Amino acid sequence: MNSRLIKYIILEIIAIIIAIFWLIPLYSMLINGFKTNFEATATPVLLPPKVFTISSYITVWGEMKRPLINSIIIAIPVAFISTIFGEMAAYFFYVVSERMPAVSNTGFSIISLATFIPYQATLLPLIELEASWGLFNSYQGLIFALLIFYMPTAALLMSIFIPVIPKYLIEAARIDKASDWTVFWKVVFPLTIPGFLATMIFVFIESWNNFFMPLVLTSSPSLRLIPVAERAFTGGYGTLYNDSYAAAVIASIVPLVVFIILGRYFIRGLAALGGGAKGV
Amino acid sequence: MVKVKVKDLTKIFKKGKNIVVANDKISLEVDDGATFGILGESGGGKTTLLRQIAGLEVPTDGYIYFDEKVVSAPNKIIVEPENRNLSLVFQNWALYPNMTIYDNIAFPLKNLKMPKSEIDKRVIEISETLNIKQVLKHYPREVSGGQMQRAALARALVKNPSLLLLDEPFSNLDAQIRDSARALVRKIQKELNLTTIIVSHDPADIFSIAEDAGVIVRGKFVQIGNVSELYNDPISETVSKLLGDINIVEGEVKGRTIVIGNLAIPFDKKIDLTEVKVGVRPEDMRISQTETIKNYVNIGKVKVKVSSYSAGIFKLIVSPISDESIEFSVNSETHIRPGIEAFLFIRPEKMKLFDSSGNRIM
Repeated sequence: MNSRLIKYIILEIIAIIIAIFWLIPLYSMLINGFKTNFEATATPVLLPPKVFTISSYITVWGEMKRPLINSIIIAIPVAFISTIFGEMAAYFFYVVSERMPAVSNTGFSIISLATFIPYQATLLPLIELEASWGLFNSYQGLIFALLIFYMPTAALLMSIFIPVIPKYLIEAARIDKASDWTVFWKVVFPLTIPGFLATMIFVFIESWNNFFMPLVLTSSPSLRLIPVAERAFTGGYGTLYNDSYAAAVIASIVPLVVFIILGRYFIRGLAALGGGAKGV
Repeated sequence: MVKVKVKDLTKIFKKGKNIVVANDKISLEVDDGATFGILGESGGGKTTLLRQIAGLEVPTDGYIYFDEKVVSAPNKIIVEPENRNLSLVFQNWALYPNMTIYDNIAFPLKNLKMPKSEIDKRVIEISETLNIKQVLKHYPREVSGGQMQRAALARALVKNPSLLLLDEPFSNLDAQIRDSARALVRKIQKELNLTTIIVSHDPADIFSIAEDAGVIVRGKFVQIGNVSELYNDPISETVSKLLGDINIVEGEVKGRTIVIGNLAIPFDKKIDLTEVKVGVRPEDMRISQTETIKNYVNIGKVKVKVSSYSAGIFKLIVSPISDESIEFSVNSETHIRPGIEAFLFIRPEKMKLFDSSGNRIM
């Protein structure tokens, strides 16, 4: 009993140390945004502000408002569409895996490959394609490009969650004369909601944080997304540190809120990855 | 309803280098409105046969006909399961956990695009028949096993199928409610004159539901016939065991008697073998202190080892006094104390003889 207690304490201490390491940048981001620019440059980064001011938030808000809205306009449809289509693809592969294993395996390999190719490598053809379709420098163009990369990711993730549904339920639904569409929406989808939400949160945060795509696929400042706008604060002539920190906080708020509201599904989904996952 | 015909059906599963022949040239015919039971050990290929009839599994070879119409051909499903107008009650009932019992039962009707009022009428009607009206608003996880089973049955019957397939539908039920569930299925089957195929490893399911049955051993039908014929005239030791309790004991042939320890069973025909297996069902044996019982033959003295009770019958385990390792299970009308010695009687005409490899010789 005693040795178990000691073990527990040691593990707990290790966890606390890791948590502190992880929290340091977050902490400095939070406190430095409330300093004046002079204090942010002159005082150590971990020291709390002597004079508490929200002036930098007020200055930054004006510039971050538009990118914040842009990012929401982009990230929500990307997360939603790629997860829905990803789940449909995963369901398709799950159903055909028995009757046509060759189709399922080949399709699956292609999807996996798509998620492993660095998207920088496909940049030139993508820009050419978007330019010729008139999608370059537009919301649709950004959504399209992000969908290309996150749909396979979502399909891959969902194909870990889908096999949790017993095959006999799908068979029962077929015998009950349900069409594939009905089977998907009435049986498969309701039973995979935790996995669906986990995947959607993952894709949402990935596309929210994506810096490269909006950087190269947009040129007008009105289309800037959060990561690009944030980068603009570290200008070529000098950095306004307190403003950068405040902008970073604003940039993090949406993913943070999403995670706080839906985080338990994310954790539950991850737990399913460890335990119930099979057939991948 | 529908007549089901299966011809030379073969199903081979290949998993890597493993090849499993689940069904080997199976043929059978189930007439319109008839009930057929498929009996066999687990892993014997019963469920695979049923799944092929349902259209969930593609046959490797052979044909399945519904009313002379081909529904499955080699490596091909010609009529998809959703168009076969059949219902399948799964072993674990396969109720949709995300729907209430009402929605579960209504699901096949909604898929038929039936008007809401008609769906409501039918669901209420069937749930009254099956006595689950009070749980319609509950989810499957909130109701008892018996109610889940009846809900699955209701879902199967509500769309008026022409063929009902049952895959071990009673094995997940408590013993007390199993009999009433069997009686209910049989009653509905008779009322609707519904062609029914039931798969089970439990002979009680087959006896209560099916008129005819086939016994599958390692993917092959070894015997097909009326259920009482299968029970009384099994072609092999395996079949006799699958159809119910039976004592199988090795005996030595000495002239016109079979000797088992100190027991001697007189036999009026000549047997060429020196060793046989004697099969007698517990109900065809009795034990008594008196030396004769009408219609029974006294075969010698035994000692009662265990005396138990189940479902209105006292069950005894007895051994010949010369050899404790040989055991017979015998039914008795009264309780008999273990340790007592008595005479063992059998009904000679009910005795079955098998050769050493289990084939029936007499």
